Amino acid sequence: MPKHDTPLLDELEKGPWPSFVTDLKRQAATKPECWDILGQVELSYKDRITHWKHGGIVGVFGYGGGIVGRYSDVPKQFPGVAHFHTVRVNQPSGLYYSTENLRAICNLWQKYGSGMTNMHGSTGDMVLLGTTTPNLEPLFYDLTHELKQDLGGSGSNLRTPSCCLGKSRCEWSCFDTQALCHFLTNKYQDELHRPAFPYKFKFKMSGCPNDCVAALARSDFAVIGNWKDDIRIDQAAVKGYIKGEFPSNGGAHAGRDWGKFDIQKEVIDLCPTGCMWMEGDTLKIDNKECTRCMHCINVMPRALRPGKEQGATICVGAKAPILDGAQFATMIFPFVNVDAESEYEEVVEKIEKIWDWWMEVGKNRERVGETIQRVGLPTFLKVMEVEPIPQHVREPRSNPYVFWQSEEVEGGFERDIREFRKRHAQ
Amino acid sequence: MALSTEELKAAMIAKATKAPKPQLYIKDFYECDPDAKPRNVKNVANDLVKEGKLMFWSSGSTTMYALPSRIKNEETRDKAEEDK
Repeated sequence: MPKHDTPLLDELEKGPWPSFVTDLKRQAATKPECWDILGQVELSYKDRITHWKHGGIVGVFGYGGGIVGRYSDVPKQFPGVAHFHTVRVNQPSGLYYSTENLRAICNLWQKYGSGMTNMHGSTGDMVLLGTTTPNLEPLFYDLTHELKQDLGGSGSNLRTPSCCLGKSRCEWSCFDTQALCHFLTNKYQDELHRPAFPYKFKFKMSGCPNDCVAALARSDFAVIGNWKDDIRIDQAAVKGYIKGEFPSNGGAHAGRDWGKFDIQKEVIDLCPTGCMWMEGDTLKIDNKECTRCMHCINVMPRALRPGKEQGATICVGAKAPILDGAQFATMIFPFVNVDAESEYEEVVEKIEKIWDWWMEVGKNRERVGETIQRVGLPTFLKVMEVEPIPQHVREPRSNPYVFWQSEEVEGGFERDIREFRKRHAQ
Repeated sequence: MALSTEELKAAMIAKATKAPKPQLYIKDFYECDPDAKPRNVKNVANDLVKEGKLMFWSSGSTTMYALPSRIKNEETRDKAEEDK
């Protein structure tokens, strides 16, 4: 029997798609607080404003993240959700679960929480929605001792690292994303569970430039698989595609008749740098001009593969809108070795160099991408000890001034800015 | 010269006691010892949390530190409002 009338939410049950409203009504049979979720969300739809407040001191002992305090601002009307905290659980790398594990998580949450989940949150965690403060410690004990799983990150912590399926399922992956994700999660446990930074910091790992976890758009430190040498070409398979022996795109768009495969129209003309051409029936690529868009490889996976000298490109500074709107990460390190035997030395060195700088220079609630924007890319490259290359430049310069450092000029120079200002004060 | 850990802890508690707002960002503690490395200040702040002398306050996206005596949790605040 519904506790609240929800005419606006009921509209969301119409149509062919699954509805969270139906799920909540079903869940309310065993968890009556779900009626109050429906009531409060209905009120929010009417008032056109959220009635959730978030933040507070809730957490589990020793951890400074993983639990987000959540409260209703109309608790008398909806007492079932007066205190309704969110728990973030660190997801397995590549989101590989057994059904046994998923059942265990659901049973745990049915015992200690509302039973409502969000699989998965934007960072990648399993998000368990709605519990009270007294339930947090017992939940945490069972989660860590029985399920052997941990909380994820929140607040000014390192956020839960996430990665694509990598080499477990994908022939294009240029490094073992799951191994690196697991390594970084273990290495930076302190940063993950206790606040360390001016603001949040996210790692994401994609095995190839297709970037299936959207690391470029969603992480402060994106490790994206790449190769140094030439795209591998199987010319016999290229001919096979031209003759129609293999479906293009791995048959992914086979639901409609697109006509005969046309390599010129569907591959060569769509190359963003125009670095491909046919010589007779042989496909040629000017590899130094390749920008790693992956289009040709995606269309003809039997014929083209990433090169053999594999590693990753590191892009820094993506974020979703908070202060100045969304921004993609900027390519900073064109190629690094991703090497398990050296304990990912090159990746770790770059992470810690960025952290040391950002912890000192970053302002409160400023993502590293915003700090880079504030101080300028040339300054950041200098701190990272990276020589600028054309790929770092987004557009031709519009500033006519060139600033030289004293060490860049023969004989150098000395300049006392205070003395200069004294003489030039208005 | 950087302060010793105990001196830094005392300076941080003094800062958290006197600050106009009860919640402080980690960077607010940097000025307790300008010679200390940010990571060291962070480690000392987290030690103070373990010792129960500071506590975390998190909005979900940002985490701050506060003296337990200067901050109330929502449950206590709600109860106090009900008792009025």
